[in-house]
Amino acid sequence: MTDTILSIKNLKKYFEPHQNFAQSITGGGQKKPIKAVDDISFDIRRGEIFGLIGESGSGKTTTGKLVMKLIEPTSGQMFFDGEDVTHLGKEKLKEYRRKVQMIFQDPYASMNPRFKIRDVLEEPLIIHKVKGSIEERTKMIVQALEEVKLIPPDEFMGRWPHMLSGGQRQRVATARTLILNPMMLVADEPVSMIDLSTRAEILHMMKEVQKELGLSYLYITHDLSTARYFTDRIAVMYLGRIVEIGRADDIIDNPLHPYTQALIEAVPEPASGKLDIVKELPIYGEIPSPANIPQGCRFHTRCPYATEACKREPEPELSLDSAEHYHACRRAYEVQAEKKRAG
Amino acid sequence: MDSLLKVENLQMHYFTSKGAVRAIDDINFELMPGETIGLVGESGCGKTSLGTSILRMPTPPGRYVGGRILVDGVDVIPLPEREVRKNVRWQKISMVFQGAMNCLTPVYTIGRQMMETLNEHSDLSRSDAESLITEYLGYVGLPPEIVQRYPHELSGGMKQRAVIATALFLKPEIVILDEPTTALDVIVQAQIINLLKKLKKQFSLSFMFITHDLALEAEISDRICVMYAGKIVELGTNAQIYGTQGPAHPYTERLLAATPRLFKKVEQLQFIPGTPPDLIDPPKGCRFSPRCDKAFDKCFQEEPPLIEIEPGHMSACWLHRRG
Amino acid sequence: MNLGDTKYRLSEFWSEFRKERSGLVGLAILVLSLLVVIFEPAILPWKEVNSKWRSIDYWQDNSASAPPAWTNAFTKLKAPVTVRLDDGKKEEASLDGGVKLVTYTFDYHYTADKAPLDVIFHITGHGDIPILVSIGRPDGTTLDLGQRFEQGLAGQDIRISVDNDGRESAFTFIKNYESEGALEQYSGKSLRTNDILFNTAREGMAREFKPLKGDYKLIVKAMLLDPENSKVEEPHVVVTGSVSGILGTDDSKRDLFSGLVAGLKWALLIGLLTSAISVLIGVMYGIISAYFGGTVDSVMQFIYQIVNSIPVLPVLIVISAIFKPSIYMLIAVMVLFFWTGSVMTVRSMALQIKEETYIEAAKALGAKKSRIIFKHMVPILIPYSFASMALSVPSAIVYESSVSLLGLGDATIVTWGQILHDAMQGAAILKGIWWWILPPGLLIAVMGMTFAFLGFSMDKILHPKLKTR
Repeated sequence: MTDTILSIKNLKKYFEPHQNFAQSITGGGQKKPIKAVDDISFDIRRGEIFGLIGESGSGKTTTGKLVMKLIEPTSGQMFFDGEDVTHLGKEKLKEYRRKVQMIFQDPYASMNPRFKIRDVLEEPLIIHKVKGSIEERTKMIVQALEEVKLIPPDEFMGRWPHMLSGGQRQRVATARTLILNPMMLVADEPVSMIDLSTRAEILHMMKEVQKELGLSYLYITHDLSTARYFTDRIAVMYLGRIVEIGRADDIIDNPLHPYTQALIEAVPEPASGKLDIVKELPIYGEIPSPANIPQGCRFHTRCPYATEACKREPEPELSLDSAEHYHACRRAYEVQAEKKRAG
Repeated sequence: MDSLLKVENLQMHYFTSKGAVRAIDDINFELMPGETIGLVGESGCGKTSLGTSILRMPTPPGRYVGGRILVDGVDVIPLPEREVRKNVRWQKISMVFQGAMNCLTPVYTIGRQMMETLNEHSDLSRSDAESLITEYLGYVGLPPEIVQRYPHELSGGMKQRAVIATALFLKPEIVILDEPTTALDVIVQAQIINLLKKLKKQFSLSFMFITHDLALEAEISDRICVMYAGKIVELGTNAQIYGTQGPAHPYTERLLAATPRLFKKVEQLQFIPGTPPDLIDPPKGCRFSPRCDKAFDKCFQEEPPLIEIEPGHMSACWLHRRG
Repeated sequence: MNLGDTKYRLSEFWSEFRKERSGLVGLAILVLSLLVVIFEPAILPWKEVNSKWRSIDYWQDNSASAPPAWTNAFTKLKAPVTVRLDDGKKEEASLDGGVKLVTYTFDYHYTADKAPLDVIFHITGHGDIPILVSIGRPDGTTLDLGQRFEQGLAGQDIRISVDNDGRESAFTFIKNYESEGALEQYSGKSLRTNDILFNTAREGMAREFKPLKGDYKLIVKAMLLDPENSKVEEPHVVVTGSVSGILGTDDSKRDLFSGLVAGLKWALLIGLLTSAISVLIGVMYGIISAYFGGTVDSVMQFIYQIVNSIPVLPVLIVISAIFKPSIYMLIAVMVLFFWTGSVMTVRSMALQIKEETYIEAAKALGAKKSRIIFKHMVPILIPYSFASMALSVPSAIVYESSVSLLGLGDATIVTWGQILHDAMQGAAILKGIWWWILPPGLLIAVMGMTFAFLGFSMDKILHPKLKTR
């Protein structure tokens, strides 16, 4: 048994743009591939909650789909529980799907509106041909519902998804993933559609389940503040690349990459006295298209600290700062020093 | 100073087959010139309903049941629709609807869609309208070429900027912003908030900023109006709500505690158990009482009035009377 | 999906459907049509219309091109209505020599202003039987109208038409009142038997018909020469009037009401079977095309477009002309072209559903393609297909009618289209036989409208469901 449950090595996913018939003959309109995920490597440890942070267009959702094997990688390797799972046959894939489950952003959309809660929870059992009589299955469903604190389970089993609140739906979605005793969960923005008042409740529930069952999570989000509370380690993604990776507290209290700094600056804090201040964000414009990734450091077009070197020199690799804290900025320390001088 | 907008005892119910949903139940507040008032609350508490009601276009099957909406001293509820369209909507009050940026028609260019709004509410000539559009695109930080672009060619932030520009065309005094940043990334959200602050000064606008995110309200709203189950439970200045003293109403308090903070590492985030009540048959007494951990006998019996607990700070909770 | 589910969904659907007025009208007509089909044997005035529509014998007692009976309400001179009398009073008497005389007396109440066209006696006999028919008039006179001696009968129907067989005795009767000279003058003008029989007996009766209203007795006597080995059964009399039935007759004396009632079930069958099969094929085709996408989609769309661009009617006409097909063959050919109707909509809806998160969730759970298609996609698209089914019913009915109208329909059944075709052949429009053209035409239109109403209402209810979920 290794310490690492999921290991991703130099994973890439390029989407080839659609070409019409005429274009493919003439070779005209040759479009560049969309580099959604462009060479990322990270490890998730057993029993760890790993956060993947980024804006929309950063490739975090594509990474989630790659891990779920809903799409095939262009290149690179994936190891799960010590086994190479980069390309899997039909049988192996089914086995993998049993071990790795997914919670989606919109709990309502992730359930067939014509399925009752019972049917929703029974589906994984049917798909994976979990043997057992109706009573045994019902027992498993009840158990899963209890696990996510939907009590009394009998009452919930007969309901339709539209009869539940957002939080309850996400609990059902969690129960659906737990019913097959997975080893890892991929949670793609599981609370972003849920009311703030219940967001914490769901995260709390997910954390309890994780502790109880010793699960590993890949938590994909754009929300740093829940990530800090929820995750052990965080990787920050920008345009298909990981720019910084480390322990959640280190990343937020001591961000080294200018992009991470900008992300943190942008988070609103519920405190008074900010009315007349126009927040100076250390970032320009908006995220470029992944079909057109800038030369050099891919962040230089938006970076206020970018120099000529950042534009011309090849992209910086992730380098170690302190224990478990890596960053991909060649000017990280200079910028830090500059900032200190400025106060 | 006279208020721009005064809402008095406003009641708006949705008449459904199951009964009347009391989405807005006796709401009173004023909006001063140049002020931003923030409306917060969980989903389903009546924030958006209040927004559309003030624009005098309640979503069917909603109907006004009582109260007045005074815009510059004139009650707009009894006005005929033609009059509202000519003199009130978009001229005095405009609105950025929730998810408006995702409701742009994919088959028309941005410019054409902006033009349509202009035509509906004014009778400018084509060239005048075009120059107006270019002018306002400049104000929201978009290049004029954008008029020839289709919605799918723009990012979420750019679309939201275009929507905001559209809301400002006819120089309204009040702009209702319904969750203008919810679907956006944090960085874009911060950029939009900065833009709104700039526009507010530039055009001396008053905003009604609707969101469920208390942290966001702290950035932009002069006064915060907390709604729960169709009623205002607390209304206070930014300093009163977010200051060291903290909010007065238990609901606001718990909502604030449930808002995750980036720089405060906590072991356990707070949350409010349960869900907002059914507004067809709201609970007796204080509507928050079933979910409130501080509730006592009286809370379940009688509805607390909205009282002034300090100058400019209103709250509806029996705890204030208890001392 | 269990029973409770379905019940809940149906009740939900019904509560919305109730608000659709046109849908309710459609439903009412459909239910009525189904009732008519179920109770067809009880409703049909001519029981064997289904098998004997093209038999000349079966219809020979009717009058040709007779308007509907209710047209009497609008005319000054009331025409006699065609009636069939079955309840004859039976009397038996033994004569000398072991001969048995069976007498059947039928009462006919005559009130019209014109004489019936004919009075026809029917009796089924076995053995050697002399038969005698007579008529008893309200003024007390009884006229023997004729006799027949049939030998070696084995259950054949003996038909005695008064118009032919009673001619002589009618003239004998009229001689009592009219002078030779008068008779000579009128007999040349083909004096009809029944004009004498139902006339008031007086001088000048040959010149002018003056109805003698009242109760007539129509008598048929059969002599059983050998009572052991001979018998008579099923005596009945048809008084052929100049108006007939609910919807009149065509020029082949066929009762149109019976034909139309018999045609209803074929209209429903053609409409429902064609649309059900073709929509089912279309839905599956659309889903598969959308779900697999890529090359499969391209090829399937290519085939779809080819089939869709072939005009149905010409092909149908050519096939019918060559093969003289049965109704089922016609349906099969129509299905071959009709399935394209729902493909595009289903495909675009399936493309939408395919992108739904719950499909992705099912995939992430490891669901097979077949499970995703049949468990997740089909149940959502099936209700929609009901609507599109209802919408394609009218065209199926009209196409069959069109083929029949050209005389190329299935010759073993009665359809509305065929009735219309016969009407065109019989120059019904030129002759002003409106009751031959309007009812089948209207019925085709109403049936089409019924399903269109149903379809539009269902479409309205079921379609937006998908968007709002």
